[in-house]
Amino acid sequence: MRHDPTPLRPADDIMTTPEADAVLEDAAAAVAGLDALDTPTTTTRPRWRRAMATGLPLFVAMLLFLAVWQLVWASAITDEFKLPAPADVWHSFAKIVDDGQVWSILWTSISRAFLGFAIALIIATPLGLLVAKVRPVRAAIGPLLQGLQSLPSVAWVPAAVLWFGLTDATIYFVVLAGSIPSIANGLVSGIDQIPPILPRVGQVLGARGLTSARHILLPAALPGYLAGCKQGWAFSWRSLMAAEIIAAGPLLGFGLGAYLKQGSDFNDMPTVIAAIFLILVVGIGIELLVFRPVERRVLRARGLAGA
Amino acid sequence: MTSTIERADTGSRTGPPALTLRGVAKTFGHGSEAVTALRGIDLHVEPGEFVCLLGASGCGKSTLLNLVAGLDEPTAGDVTLGTARPSFMFQEAALLPWLTARRNVELPLQLAGLGRRERRQRADELLSLVRLKDQGDKRPHELSGGMRQRVSLARALAATTATTPQRATGGGFGRRSPGQDWEAENRPGMLLMDEPFAALDAITRDVLQGELLRVWEATGITILFVTHDVREAIRLAERVVLLSSRPGTVVREWRVGDGPITLHDEITGRLRQVITSHAA
Repeated sequence: MRHDPTPLRPADDIMTTPEADAVLEDAAAAVAGLDALDTPTTTTRPRWRRAMATGLPLFVAMLLFLAVWQLVWASAITDEFKLPAPADVWHSFAKIVDDGQVWSILWTSISRAFLGFAIALIIATPLGLLVAKVRPVRAAIGPLLQGLQSLPSVAWVPAAVLWFGLTDATIYFVVLAGSIPSIANGLVSGIDQIPPILPRVGQVLGARGLTSARHILLPAALPGYLAGCKQGWAFSWRSLMAAEIIAAGPLLGFGLGAYLKQGSDFNDMPTVIAAIFLILVVGIGIELLVFRPVERRVLRARGLAGA
Repeated sequence: MTSTIERADTGSRTGPPALTLRGVAKTFGHGSEAVTALRGIDLHVEPGEFVCLLGASGCGKSTLLNLVAGLDEPTAGDVTLGTARPSFMFQEAALLPWLTARRNVELPLQLAGLGRRERRQRADELLSLVRLKDQGDKRPHELSGGMRQRVSLARALAATTATTPQRATGGGFGRRSPGQDWEAENRPGMLLMDEPFAALDAITRDVLQGELLRVWEATGITILFVTHDVREAIRLAERVVLLSSRPGTVVREWRVGDGPITLHDEITGRLRQVITSHAA
């Protein structure tokens, strides 16, 4: 009898007659069969083929670019000091690698970008949560936050120089002004895109307030938040370069931006182009090495599009 | 496939009612804008009973379930629960896509403060109850719709029994130590099901209806099941309650066990009357 206090018997011993057993076995088989038929099938391409599919076209494109560059240079359409040969740029790059200067340049810029990005995360995350969940806050600063995203952070540089002088504070201010809006807006849109059923589920499962934020809201918003972080990184890197190029001074160290500025001051085109490439490579490299794998893992765990 | 599981002898049910609604009404909005969703609902559900609420659109089924779940307050009347906190099952499985099937089932246990080992063991027991013992490590997107809905069932079962800690019984489900007053310690909870099978294909729905009956038998849980499928209501429930629409009121009740063979036609007829009364 059901009302005997035996809340959960194993599926197979509810009934004891042979016919009943047969029926249960039948049900079990039906369920198992249905599961086997309905389970989504996944096909995975081998890793090397994926790498080939993404890597090869990129490699070919870069080769073509170099070939065209070499060709344009060889045809001598423009002056040498405007368009140096690829080999000259390479030599310029090899020079700072040889004397070890490249590591201190890269470290100066990358450590700044990371520190700035980390501070931006700490500020933007609670800010995004507030804007997403507290209606008056959203009405008050939501539009501003979105507007700030389209304000080029280089516009902050002159103001920051007047406020903080040629110090690291100027650099960090510009980096934060560039990346905080992106990260906060990413979190806001991540939260806005949560299917309404999930918070409801959290509620009926017994999640309230902060527990709900931790177990439902934040994990559900994670894809949007990560996209925001990725964009925030790009903005923080961009802003940093703008700040380093414009604000140069003895207190500021010698980063990638300063390296580029120096090349430009000396009319040294190979150095300028080498610096531009380095800035590009670091920006893309961090995205590929740090953000892409994290994002991929998160999206794949949720079965989201071809990640 | 039809269920051959015998209905429990309703006479043997003891204890306070699982749910009592007395003169429950719910109105949304104020003044001329006000919409009455429910009016004068009286309903008693015995512990362990399986009741289907049947009705067309606008009968306030979801409002009623929200009131029972405590997600909303009635405008008038009162709702008395005699079971542990009821849990919900929706039309969609609504699993958390970033958690494995097992972690989804564990979540309500975790929120209720159970320890890691205890909740894992309980989740595994519940997963094997819904025949998903070996699928615990899969993510929702790796499961079929029917499997997801069974994980959702396991999670709902976990949620409704999570409020009564199992520590005294050693964490075992159904392994009751002799002499223990189980009813007081661990009253089976209540499941509120809002058309849980409506989004599934016919074959899966049929199989899951059988599975739900089996789980109901095995757990002694009280089920309040909303549907607009007369056939489903008759197959599953011991009692079918027909609600009118706009506002929702109880039109009639049928006890399925002792009903006539033509019960399906009779209920369908009344449902049709309710619907046609809105034609104007």
